[in-house]
Order: sequence, then C-alpha cells, then structure tokens
Amino acid sequence: MATLSINSVRKSFGAVEVLSNIDIDVEDGGFLVLLGPSGCGKSTLLAIIAGLETSSGGDILIGDRNVNDVHPKDRNIAMVFQSYALYPTMPVRRNIGFGLEMRKVDAKERDAAVNRAAELLQIEHLLDRKPGQLSGGQRQRVAMGRAIVRNPDLFLFDEPLSNLDAKLRVEMRTEIKRLHERLGTTTVYVTHDQVEALTLGTKVAVMKDGVIQQLADPETIYERPANMFVAGFIGSPTMNFLRGTLEQAADDLHLRYDGGTLALPELAQDVAHFVGRTVVAGIRPETLNAGPGAATLTGIVDIIEPTGPDTMVIVNVGGQLITARLGPRARPVSGQSLTLSADSAAINLFDPDTGNRI
Amino acid sequence: MISNTGPAYSSPQRSAFDRYNPLRWIGELSETRYWMYLLLLPSALLICAVVIYPTLYGMQMSFHEMRINRPGLGNGWVGLKHYQRMVTDPVFWVSLRNTAVWVTSAIALEFLIGLVAALALNRNLPGSKVLAVLILLPYFLPNVVAGHMWALMLDPRLGVINDLLVKVGLLQGYKAWFADPTTAMAAAIVVEAWHSFPFFTLLLLAGLKGIPTDLYKAADIDGAGALSQLRLITLPMLKTIIAAAVILRVIGLVNSPDLLLILTSGGPGRSTQVLSLYAFQTAYKDFNFGYAGALSVVMFVLLMVFAWAYVRLSKVNED
Repeated sequence: MATLSINSVRKSFGAVEVLSNIDIDVEDGGFLVLLGPSGCGKSTLLAIIAGLETSSGGDILIGDRNVNDVHPKDRNIAMVFQSYALYPTMPVRRNIGFGLEMRKVDAKERDAAVNRAAELLQIEHLLDRKPGQLSGGQRQRVAMGRAIVRNPDLFLFDEPLSNLDAKLRVEMRTEIKRLHERLGTTTVYVTHDQVEALTLGTKVAVMKDGVIQQLADPETIYERPANMFVAGFIGSPTMNFLRGTLEQAADDLHLRYDGGTLALPELAQDVAHFVGRTVVAGIRPETLNAGPGAATLTGIVDIIEPTGPDTMVIVNVGGQLITARLGPRARPVSGQSLTLSADSAAINLFDPDTGNRI
Repeated sequence: MISNTGPAYSSPQRSAFDRYNPLRWIGELSETRYWMYLLLLPSALLICAVVIYPTLYGMQMSFHEMRINRPGLGNGWVGLKHYQRMVTDPVFWVSLRNTAVWVTSAIALEFLIGLVAALALNRNLPGSKVLAVLILLPYFLPNVVAGHMWALMLDPRLGVINDLLVKVGLLQGYKAWFADPTTAMAAAIVVEAWHSFPFFTLLLLAGLKGIPTDLYKAADIDGAGALSQLRLITLPMLKTIIAAAVILRVIGLVNSPDLLLILTSGGPGRSTQVLSLYAFQTAYKDFNFGYAGALSVVMFVLLMVFAWAYVRLSKVNED
C-alpha cells in the first residue's frame, strides 16, 4: 500500500495538449475516481500512472518513490482493463498467476496465492477454464483476481465495468467496493459513469479536455459543484439551471427570472458582489417539492415521467424547463399550474460568463 | 417478359406462353433446394476436369507400364511393380531425405525471417507501410525469374555475392556454390527462403494485427519481457495462422521442383535431388510415366499424412 502523488503532469501529442498540469494526491488506502466524458484524458492519465504512456512533464510518485523512469513491471501496480486483457491461450489459473510466474515466485507459493484470490472472488470453479469459456462477469472477476494476487501498492482500473450489462455492473460495483474495503489498497479508477464515481470514490476528479474541473470528495462534488460542467455532468436527472437577475431588497436576496422571483433566504454562498447581475441558479431536482415554501417557483406542468420510485415532473417556469423529482404518487396534471418549493440552502449560484460557482 | 408489356397479349395466350417460358422455369427452380447444386455444378465440373481426373489418372498410371521411349513394353497393368522398385531405388531414398532437409530447413528459415519482418512491420514505425509493400516483392517474382537471378548472383565467375564476400574477407576466392555438394543444398535453401519468406510475413502480420494491444500492456505490468511476451502471448495467439501457413508452404514446396530445377537440376550428383524433381525428371527425361506416377502418389500420401499429423500435433483445433 502506498500514497500516490501526481504533480504537474502534462501530456501532449504533437501540438495537442491532452493533459494540462494535473495535480492530485491520494492518501494511503484512498480511492480516487477519474471521471469525465470520453476524450477528457482520464485514461491517458491512468496510462501515465501505470507507466504505459510517458508524460510530457511532471512527476508521478508512488509512496516516496518517483516512478517517472520506472518500467510498469517495477512500479508494483496492478491494472484491470476495460477489455479485461486476459491471455486467451492460458487457463484462468495461469492468467491470475502470470504476474507471479514472471516474477519467478515458486509454483507452490503461486498456487496458494492464486487459490486465495480465487476464493476471495468466488471463481475457484473456473480456474481450469480458458477465458473464451467465461461470461463477461466471470472474465471481470478473473481480471480482478489477476490484479489482487500480487498484493500491489496500487490498483488501476480502466473503465472495468463498461462492458457489463446493467445488472452485473451494479453487482460488480458493490464487489469492487467490498474488495477495496477489505484490502485497503490505494486505487485509481477511471470511469465515465457518475454513479460509479460517487459510490466508489473517496475522492473524485472530474475532468474535461485534459483539465481537472473539480477534485473533491463525492458529497462536495454533488452538492457544491465547482462549475456548471461538473454540476451538469453529475446527477441524473441533471441539475436544473435557472437563469435570472440577482436582486437584493433590504436583507431579502432573490433571483428574478422571466415570470417570477425565487427567494434565496438560506443561500450558502457569499454573492453580495453579484447583486444586480445575471446569474444561473443550479437546483437539484430532488431538492424541489410540490407545494409552497420559503422559496417557491411556479410554472406550467409540461411532462410527467413516472419512474417507479420517483415521478419526474418537467415544469415550464417562464420559458425555462425545470425538472422536479417528486414522490411516486405525485400526479400533477399536464398543462396546469404547479407551485414548487426549493431548498434554498441546496442552491448553487453560477457566473454565466465563466460557468464557475460564485 | 413480353407477356407483361400490355393488354395485347391477354389471358389464354399469356398462360400458354408462361408455361414454356424458360425464365419462369428457372425462376421456379431457384426457389427449390436443388438450386444450390445447380450453381455449384460449373465449378464442380471444372474441378473434376482439372484436379480430380488428373489425380485419379496419375494414380491409375502408377499401376501401369507407360514408357514413351519404349513403346514395346505396352501400357498394361503391372500392379505394385513401380512401388516395389521404389523400395530398392537408392535415388528415391536420397530424394526423400533431401526433400525432408530441403523443406524443413527452408521453411524454418522462411518462418523465422517472416516472423522477424512481421514483428518489425507491426510496430507501425514511419515508413512501415512502404516497407510492407517492398518486403513482398520477392514473393511476386516467379520462381524461374528468382532462380535465374540468384544463379547469376551466386555465379562462380561473375556473381556479385562472391565478389562481396571476398571483399569483406569472408571468402578467400570465388566459390561455385551450386557445384559443391556440401554447399549446393544450403545455397538453394537460402534462395528459397529469400523468395518465400514474404508469404509468412504477410500471414503473420495479418495475425499480429488481430492481437489486442491491451494484452501487451497487461503483460508489461505483469512483468513479462519482450521474449516472454513473444513466447507466451504472440506465438500462441498466432498458432492457427502459423499452422495454416506452414501446411500451405510445405505442400507448395514439396510439390514444386522449379527452383531446384533451375539452380541445380538436382546436382551435383544427387545432392539436391528432391522427390518432386525426381518425379519430374523421371517423367520428362526418362519418359517413364508409370514410375513418375508412383512417385507422385507417394508424395501425395506423405503430404496427407504430414498435414494430418501436423494439425493433430499443433492442437490447432483445441481452442
């Protein structure tokens, strides 16, 4: 086990900069998730950590050791690939033990380690099969077995669940979390799935175009997104953005939008210098409730989408569409007026020019 | 067709016409299961005419007397006479041994060079696309052209290779490579390897392109060096292609006498005499088609046994 420090890491392919000045520290036993849309550079960063790709600048430290010029095999890391990258011609047992075999660990010790890993992942019965005879979920487990068997300092996961079907993905997500809690190995996990990021990470780095947009724990990322990109990327349905002018009358702060005002009595931000300017209020759908309250929004019900546990209600508020996540029994009528109350403490205000949280 | 053009050909006439319309007849046949046999028929006939008939005729010939320069012997049935002669024919056994040496060494060399070239080309370095085409050039040359070219290059009086080797200091004087029984086979093997290694390059490169790069990344992290990766990942994953390529090449090489015919004609002495060449010369120099037929049948059987054993031993069908 070890800490991981990524210091000012850059990467360019020719004139194209795919990573610019990445700084991340992961504590010993931490779980860092690199989250972002495809092409944001998250997999490249992982490959640089693994040593499969060279950086154009900056340092990678595993523990206290600068590994910039260390071959992947000597970094004491293990990686799970999106494609699993199991060796097709070898049976599962040899696949899992391959890293030990290459490190000249003797056969007895190797077998014991393979059996332990297999037991942990409940794949003992698959040890003599070839990867081609396994299902997607089983291959995934074997790939994880190959990673844990060597007891590495660092686990690297490159979108390990994206080839699985939805049900299996949820199961394996839980499995990975359980494994991490049990083994306590420092982990870096790349994904484009925000649910995976929030459920697994102790720290989430949201990336876009090779730049870290926000690096924080999952709660902060969700509740206090650093900018509108992060706010929009995280959460499903995504955060509502309500555009309006910030006004202050006496102590009463409110947002004036087309067709109404939204009181902001408990806003958690200092926005005094933005009074009189246009701002964007970010409102999570689940912080909206039907019925009046301290901060209310009124609009015309546009569409109702029952999902089972929730009912998504899309309301037209002065020309801007706002989604509210209401209870399963909520059945407002399309075309009729609906009053929603917002939890103003949960509202984030963004500067529309920069997109950043004020 | 005409029946569809207008009202002029109205009902009774049209159905009578349709009944005898060959297009309609074919159209109906195309809906039945016989249609596929009908479509296969032309190629099946062609194969019968140019492959199966000659093969059977050759086999039949091997049990008959057929010496064109001695018509007095007739062309009657002689049973296993030719096969019995083969057992005691020293040239046959020399040819058989030479064939084994020739085919094994040449193909081993071709495979090695082909593999190295394929691995190099697969690295996608700048210029590798052009190189990939250039490297195939030897294979495009007909055997006859390649043979004459190398015969000239290895010529004892004016060969450029002798000249170079002497200048570099590897040779004392010019050497008649194909006139010396100790070097003739080796020289011919080099020529053959040069000529045919692109075949392996081409097939192996196609195979290499199909191996996911993630495997090598995983192997890097697992600590496998380049040689281990080659031995434990690349070669096992190319197994099927290697098996197919080797079988094709062995069949090709065992059956074609042309390169040796040009370079050495089997000489000096019998030092480069191989079965195909022996069969060819028996037929077209001695005009003994019966014995040549028997030699060909033996080659045919040997190749069948080889292909069967090779597929079994290389366990290609396992995965």
